[in-house]
Amino acid sequence: MARKAVILAGGQCKWGVREAHLVDLFQEAAKACLDDIPTLKPKDIDGLIVATSYAGRCSFQVNTAPVIAERCGLKPTSICTRCDTLCAGGSTGIILAKGLVEAGAADIVMVAGGEKLYTPQKWEVFYSELASVDHVWEGAQGLGLPPPFFALTAQEHMMHYGTKKEHLAAVSVANYNYAADNPVAQMQKRLTLEEAMNAPVVVPPLTLYDCCPITDGAAACIITTDEIARKFTDRPLVYIRGTAQVCLNSVSANFPGEHLADWKHTRIAAQIAYERAKVTPNDIKVAQTHDCFSISEVIEVEELGFCKKGEGGEFCYSKQIEIGGKVPINTDGGLLAVGHPFGATGIRQAIEIMKQLQGRARHQVKDADIGLTHNLSGANAEHTILIYGREPVK
Amino acid sequence: MAVLGIPILDGLYPVTMDMWPVQAKEFNRIWPFYENLKQGRFTTTKCKDCGHVAYPPRVICPACYSENLEWIDLPTKGKVIVFSEEVKGVPLGFESPLIHAVIDLGVEPVRRLLSRIVNCPAGALKRGDEVQLSVFKVPDMPMEKGKAGTVMVERVFFAFEPVKK
Repeated sequence: MARKAVILAGGQCKWGVREAHLVDLFQEAAKACLDDIPTLKPKDIDGLIVATSYAGRCSFQVNTAPVIAERCGLKPTSICTRCDTLCAGGSTGIILAKGLVEAGAADIVMVAGGEKLYTPQKWEVFYSELASVDHVWEGAQGLGLPPPFFALTAQEHMMHYGTKKEHLAAVSVANYNYAADNPVAQMQKRLTLEEAMNAPVVVPPLTLYDCCPITDGAAACIITTDEIARKFTDRPLVYIRGTAQVCLNSVSANFPGEHLADWKHTRIAAQIAYERAKVTPNDIKVAQTHDCFSISEVIEVEELGFCKKGEGGEFCYSKQIEIGGKVPINTDGGLLAVGHPFGATGIRQAIEIMKQLQGRARHQVKDADIGLTHNLSGANAEHTILIYGREPVK
Repeated sequence: MAVLGIPILDGLYPVTMDMWPVQAKEFNRIWPFYENLKQGRFTTTKCKDCGHVAYPPRVICPACYSENLEWIDLPTKGKVIVFSEEVKGVPLGFESPLIHAVIDLGVEPVRRLLSRIVNCPAGALKRGDEVQLSVFKVPDMPMEKGKAGTVMVERVFFAFEPVKK
């Protein structure tokens, strides 16, 4: 019988401004992950994929995987490597682990992602961000932290589709309120539409709650086959049904859409992932999309097919992203409120979808059987989608 | 110049902390882009075999993988499609207001070029405004060069600025 990849367990450490070193955060995440599956021991894990982008820059550490393996008591024999796709690193690790376990090249793989972004002097955090975009062509144009880029994106969405500031604010309100009772979230407070509408300006039209914070944190999950998983757990199995990762440009001049609010690469990634998973947008009961900015989620619900192009603002404003809506999104708080330590984010999303599909999420979507995670990376240069289900693809 | 906390780096140049591109021909095969910039020219590479024009410039044609490329001029004037203004929280090395615009230079592949807009006060720019190439000096890069010791490599970079009416 063909080997089918599942996500067996996962956990994340407390995210935020952390008084800890990068390797401390990875140890906390590895423990949180194995605390989720007490029958699994470190010696059972034969592979490790580490997702981190800023280890080289902020912690002066490349070749991160052996460091993390040793500190976490792992002795990998099938794979021990690192991947870097910035905001999608964790999702990339899961895609790679799926391929390895289904091919029989690995059996039980830990995918661990994390970043330590805050350095002893704050200027360095912002300065180092000039590496997050195409460094020569756009970093040197002063594009580092992405608010200016997503402000342009929001303006073009407003120009072409009549989206309003209230629509953006509704995303922030939904995601903050999902995170208000999430003990590992960076932001744990309820937010009102009025507060979101009157927040300090970052780059117009984006204000404070439209932007995800800078976050230290780590997360880890276990990818294995269904047959192996059954030896360790009685929980419902959560299969990785289909995946896609699409990159059509790096520099903004080569952006594939008609304008910055037209995300052709997301549509292509979604189409491929849906085909591979043998599902349609209507089958998705819960999703974790890449809400690095409120405007991102507005565009993602369109490009993922949850509503028509141009209607994302109204979709979010009319509470379709909340529990009871058409597709509850970012039900643990998303990037906006849980935070965004780049390499860890895709793993955080996978863990929330796993819990939703197993019926043990904090904000549980009733009868969730198919879930989706989505990341964009860099200055909207790459899109990564994974679709999970209670049943394997037949 | 002392580097606080890291005395071993006193007087040294760490390229990994440099916000501007390395432009010396010893380290970069597209160095003619920067030489052309110094003359006020905004250029890129065109494939002499298949005719594909790529931006940014490359050392191979991304369409046919030929190495038979030539430098061509791109327009230096364009129009603002959309822009953003960052007044607070501008990153180290840049001045407030930090303005970014998507500009249309009128020809592929630069119909939607993202650029910084300089020499423009906050609140002055409008959609549709005409902008032109602005080339400016950035700090010289110290480079070890055999028996000549450390030489200073002159560098420039570019942005766009409003055309004075």
